Amino acid sequence: MTAQILNGLIVGSMYALIAIGFTLVLGVLDRLNFAHTEVFMFGAFAGLLVIDAGFPWWLTLPFVMVVSGVIGLAVEFISFRRFEGDVRITAALSSLAVGLVMIDLTHKVWGTEPVGINVPNFVTTAGFTLFGIRVVYVQMLILAVTLALMAALHLLVSRTRAGRNIRAVADSPVAASLLGINVRRVTQDVFFVSSALAGAAGLLLAFRTGYANADVGLTFGLKAIAIMAIGGMGDMRGAVVGGLLIGVLESLTFQFGVGKLGELVVWVAMILVLLIRPEGLFGGGIHAKEVRA
Amino acid sequence: MPAGAEPAAPVLEVSELSKQFDGLRAVDGVSFTVLPGEILGIIGPNGAGKTVLINLVSGFYPATSGRVRLLGEDLSGLALHQIGRRGIARTFQNIRLFKRMTVLENVLVSDQRHARRPIRAFFAFGRQRAEIEKARRFIELMGLTARANQLAGTLPYGEARRLEIARALATEPALLLLDEPAAGMNEEETAELIADVRKARKLVMAVVLIEHDMSLIQALSDRVIAMDYGKVMAEGLPAAVLADPEVQRAYLGEEGDP
Amino acid sequence: MTVDYLFFTGVNILLAWSVYIVLLTGNLSFAQGAFMAIGCYAAGIMTTRYGVPFLAAVPAAMAISAAMAVVFGYPALRIRGIYLILVTVGLTFCVRIALENFSYTGGVGGLKGMSGATLWHLGGAILAVGALLYLLSRSPLQRILDAVREDDRVAASLGINLTYVKLFAFGAGAAIAGLAGALYGHYLIFVRPDNFDILVSIFVVLYVILGGVNNLWGPLLGATVMTLLPEFIRALQEWRPTVFGLAIIVMLLLRPEGLLSFRLTSARWSGDAGGR
Repeated sequence: MTAQILNGLIVGSMYALIAIGFTLVLGVLDRLNFAHTEVFMFGAFAGLLVIDAGFPWWLTLPFVMVVSGVIGLAVEFISFRRFEGDVRITAALSSLAVGLVMIDLTHKVWGTEPVGINVPNFVTTAGFTLFGIRVVYVQMLILAVTLALMAALHLLVSRTRAGRNIRAVADSPVAASLLGINVRRVTQDVFFVSSALAGAAGLLLAFRTGYANADVGLTFGLKAIAIMAIGGMGDMRGAVVGGLLIGVLESLTFQFGVGKLGELVVWVAMILVLLIRPEGLFGGGIHAKEVRA
Repeated sequence: MPAGAEPAAPVLEVSELSKQFDGLRAVDGVSFTVLPGEILGIIGPNGAGKTVLINLVSGFYPATSGRVRLLGEDLSGLALHQIGRRGIARTFQNIRLFKRMTVLENVLVSDQRHARRPIRAFFAFGRQRAEIEKARRFIELMGLTARANQLAGTLPYGEARRLEIARALATEPALLLLDEPAAGMNEEETAELIADVRKARKLVMAVVLIEHDMSLIQALSDRVIAMDYGKVMAEGLPAAVLADPEVQRAYLGEEGDP
Repeated sequence: MTVDYLFFTGVNILLAWSVYIVLLTGNLSFAQGAFMAIGCYAAGIMTTRYGVPFLAAVPAAMAISAAMAVVFGYPALRIRGIYLILVTVGLTFCVRIALENFSYTGGVGGLKGMSGATLWHLGGAILAVGALLYLLSRSPLQRILDAVREDDRVAASLGINLTYVKLFAFGAGAAIAGLAGALYGHYLIFVRPDNFDILVSIFVVLYVILGGVNNLWGPLLGATVMTLLPEFIRALQEWRPTVFGLAIIVMLLLRPEGLLSFRLTSARWSGDAGGR
């Protein structure tokens, strides 16, 4: 069972990474970026490009993050720039359409079957034993990277000037611009960071499974949005805790439950949370007030 | 009110109504009544709690404590639509019209025959002469006939306010609540508004009017309540309340001492 | 043009209308995949396992879809906006996963042996639903739905019971989606749970967005164009999602109201000579 929990934490940390990115855009910019899940999906393929070009596998991460960040900037430009003052739904739908295009283009270039990603064997199969559980290196890698990225994000937001600007915009874009903060620049920064995290998560998942799969956005990725709802929309802690929790619950359900009903866990949990406590586990932010009719 | 007349049953009875928001008591133990046929004015500086009070009475906010009774019936715990059906209609400080619907449609929505039975409303397709006539009468009352087929979102300010009143009146309420209907109006428009509110008074049992504009209050109100810090400060005939030193201080203090 | 494509177009038209009717109350539902699946499987199980005649199974399936919608909708309609959208997304996933995991419904392998749906049935369904939507647009109920969509609390203060109206729309939408599903299944003979996944829901919503949300013709146009056009233009067929996605993006930038953005005013009818 501990092995399952560990497994769940690994998966959960990837969920959390995706959810954090989504939450960042929602919490700071009050925008729903439905292309986020496909940026996550593409991370694996970006990594594939690096490895197939002959570069060492460990160089993939920074490259993927940058590429994903740039894609995020493009999404902001296409789907969100024009609709700054508008009803949120228009931008969200536009980003949804961008996501669809990304899936299709990926299918066209790489085919509809999952594509193997060449990670050295010792990472994916070798490992060590700790307290009687077998831990594979790739699991450690995932945990380490996600922790590092979350820590980096936290430092970014709390210690740097850019982070201060981000927090100011999160509080009130109008006040922030009155203070001389370039809100557009902050918007771009947030989209970049959010997408970079998503891409990183996509790459990590590919390392774990050994495949880049164009469909993960709609399966794995959408769950992160559900997790965000469970944790509380716009709340970082909620994204992390929610992700880990769901990861573990899913893992246990798969092990002890019936067939593939583990897939249901996140959706049932989300529906229950939204119906009973719509603000989510850590809710209470501005978004909470919008929830009740 | 004629001297010696028997006191009629109040249209609205508010008892010890309070609303607490996190740390702030926006409305604090407010009590008053509104008698049939009268226009009750409510004045007070910004932040006094007037709009919160209206929101409580009309059901837009749930009260923290206290009670509201309409025609003797307790409104506590009722949903918005139930309160609307019992006979309270209102306008909004920041004008909340159905912008993408026409003037006529805005007023037609209020028709209680359909509003209360939406499914049955489906079957009335085609045969709507009667309700359209009725709506047109309300529109005419507010002087909006020329704009009947215009989208509400395109109306100039003064007419948008009048449309809100028409829409509220079309529910045929017992009590009409007007939240700063004269805000942003010039003198000419304000004079028209006074006439409109007088027309409206004849169609309902009582009117509650929140206003900053003293000329409007004096011209229209039978009685006035002055609020500050969520409490009722003074109550009585308009002249008396406006002359009350506490009231003066609340207003003068807000505008800055001369 | 094959009969197949006409059939799929018709099914998509019904699905688009089912999203439209919920959209009329201001809610965007991504649950059409779920209700389509429920309608399809319910009707399919009735006809294949219990020998219920096709024409009786379809209305029953519609009723079951509507009932499920009301059951889920009742607590859910108390929440708004994105949260409600997420619940509908969750619903689609749950239904599909449930169908895959219960052998009663055939599991991943799917349900087979349904037959009996023809283009005539579909045509009739489209005419019926279209007529109902048309009558709706001329009735006071349309105004009530519009008011709820424009500003639901104000509509409530005018005496409109929001929960009732929204549930009605949600249930009606589910019934239409169930109808589409039942016809779909009985035409294809054989369906699998992944015929009803989240992409179906997403595509249908996008048909409606593309075609326009202001009247019943918009969804019809969006669904027809996106289903039939690829038949005529070979290149479109292969690149469908990309073309579709790009069309949506461009359209939202240029003309957010959709391709058909005129409004059919419900008060505008032959008796009304009023100044225009």
